[in-house]
Amino acid sequence: MRVNPNPMPDLLAALNRTRQDTEDALLELSSGRRVNQPSDDPAAAAILVQNHDQITFTARYLQSLASIQGEFQTADSALNSVILVMQRALTLGVEGANGTLSDNDRAAVAAELQGIQDQLVSLGNTTFQGRALFAGTLTSSPPFVKDNTVPSGVRYLGNDAVNSVQIGDGYQIPVNKPGSQLFVAPGHDIFQAMTGLTQAMQSDSGFTAALSSLRDAFDYTSGQRVFYGNTLNQTESQSIYLGSAKLQLSQQENTLAAADVSAAASRLVNSQNATNATLAAIGRISQLNLFDFLK
Amino acid sequence: MDSGFYAACAGLRAQSQALDVAAHNVANVSTTGFTRQRPVLIPNDPVVLGRLSFGTGVSLQKLESLRDPILELRLNQETQNQGQLDATLGALQQAQVTFSGTNSGIGDAITRFFDSLQQLSTDPSSLGLRQGVLTAAGNLATAFNSASHHLQTQSSNLDLNVVQTVGDINTLTPQIAALNQQIANLENVHEDASALVDKRGTLIRQLSSLIDVSVIQTEHGIALTTSNGTPLVAQERSFQLTTQIATGGIHKVFSGTVDITGQINAGKLGGLLNVRDTKIPALQSSLDQLAAGLATALNTAHRAGFDLNGAAGTDLFVPPAAGGVGAAAALSVAISDPAFLAASSDGTAGSNGNLAVISAVHDQAIVGGQKPLDFYSRLIFQVGSDTSNTAADLDASQLILRQLEDQRSSISGVSLDEEAANLVRYQSAYQAAARVVSTVNSLLDTVVNLGR
Repeated sequence: MRVNPNPMPDLLAALNRTRQDTEDALLELSSGRRVNQPSDDPAAAAILVQNHDQITFTARYLQSLASIQGEFQTADSALNSVILVMQRALTLGVEGANGTLSDNDRAAVAAELQGIQDQLVSLGNTTFQGRALFAGTLTSSPPFVKDNTVPSGVRYLGNDAVNSVQIGDGYQIPVNKPGSQLFVAPGHDIFQAMTGLTQAMQSDSGFTAALSSLRDAFDYTSGQRVFYGNTLNQTESQSIYLGSAKLQLSQQENTLAAADVSAAASRLVNSQNATNATLAAIGRISQLNLFDFLK
Repeated sequence: MDSGFYAACAGLRAQSQALDVAAHNVANVSTTGFTRQRPVLIPNDPVVLGRLSFGTGVSLQKLESLRDPILELRLNQETQNQGQLDATLGALQQAQVTFSGTNSGIGDAITRFFDSLQQLSTDPSSLGLRQGVLTAAGNLATAFNSASHHLQTQSSNLDLNVVQTVGDINTLTPQIAALNQQIANLENVHEDASALVDKRGTLIRQLSSLIDVSVIQTEHGIALTTSNGTPLVAQERSFQLTTQIATGGIHKVFSGTVDITGQINAGKLGGLLNVRDTKIPALQSSLDQLAAGLATALNTAHRAGFDLNGAAGTDLFVPPAAGGVGAAAALSVAISDPAFLAASSDGTAGSNGNLAVISAVHDQAIVGGQKPLDFYSRLIFQVGSDTSNTAADLDASQLILRQLEDQRSSISGVSLDEEAANLVRYQSAYQAAARVVSTVNSLLDTVVNLGR
């Protein structure tokens, strides 16, 4: 068969191809990314969309957790104070019940109990970043106001609603406990019990009933505080989980999208070798033909 | 002795003509589409003298052009294929820019919108975070708008390209028709038209890269039609294609009064029309579907809640037109006051209950039975694999074309070695014939001087 007398177009096409390979490898190495546009790896590009979504959400869950934890710590320490002042009220009540106090002393203790009542109202109105923590979802105004027209002396203006925040895919936790469950729960109303003890102190009678309902309210509130501790524990373990999930997602993104440096480098070397070989081949094409030898 | 003299003279003439052919081949060694020629020498008819017949030398019967018509046909077909793939790939590569980048574009905007809802859920009455949600919603709308606009612009550019390509076709067909005429004229008087045939072949190759061309060989020359039979050239006549603006501002291609837009499948024009009329509208409609699905679902969820003032939620996005046509281009946020964002499920300012309802759209099958991001990532996969498949096809086509051209060159290409060898042959034949003439001359001399 007759040989193609002009191999140059073939060689130039081959040269073009190897130079393209070099360019591709250089782009991957310099951009650090293997998938720069969907056609580079359609399946990876599609997964990257989901991956980016998951990474964004995981980061968001972690931020939400941090914000919830701040809120919970504030609420928890407010409840801790509530328990401390109630203990003080109980001590005072026991002293009064002993019958060893003079009228003046009892008046002074009653005044201290009223001060404790004020302190409890203020603790019930604790805010975090301007939001009342124990108001249900009516967070913009203080939920507890003193009001002598109600038997307990304190009116609850909040509601019973609970907000939930997502801290994982399909994982929501309640982030508040309304005051109606903590301070003024039916049968365990702290303010009612305090008012009862103050009145007992003033009238020097009914200490047993007053002390028993205050103790009951104290036990109940101590029990409710567990909610914050438990939820804080949950958020901490979820933080750890999300942290490792985030790492895994980033690794997956890397595997999918990041340049495979060693592979790209070896392709670079290969394509450069191929370019050199092709150039050498072109250079070796004989410049001579039969005409050069005819005289 | 006479016949020997004439034979030698005929040899001189034939060999010098053969030398001319070799010279012509050498001169055209780098001419595109040139087909090498070969002189066909045949012995002259003998003269009969009594019982003897004497040869009367040689003459150049014809010049043979070495071309393979089947190969030319294959080359034309592959050129059409390549023209189509080339145009398609160029357009798809531009289209996929709209879908490039994981940290930008529609996918990112969808993610960020739902992310902003999550952020707001930790502090639902914060005006700053509410503004963040509105900004993210605005960015989502803008992402759809600009993607749609980008596709629209590309469609217009392709349309411009279609008109230009039709113009290119219309300048080629008359040239081919004129060559047909010249070739027919020459062939009618049995002249060699090889150079013109080469020229016509090159023009048909050019035409093939633009549109699908079928070459029909008739008694009176060749006719060119598109594969569905639209005439382009018939012998010495050419038929112009025209473009007319149709609804939607795009140009349709006409042959006479017949709309042939949908029938052109190959060549650059076929590629351009395919992307302009099929691929881009499909992408555009997917974007519309996604935009309309998202807007409708988010509006429904948003209306279920209450805003910061306790009023019932309104539409978050301007509701898309029925059927969703143009939804991506028209998507815009309907509320401007962050207080109107319906985060609350019970009318209180501190409730975040409805944010969970809106967020749930992220995981609802609202577009063609798929979650919004699933739909979008599938779209990305489609665009990407369309582009990379076309690139692979183009690579293959280029390889085939290279091989075909190799074959063509091995049959029709000029080899300088061959021509040099031929020159030596013709030269020595010429020299020998000249020697015969001088020998006969000296014999004649002897005869003339016999009487001295």
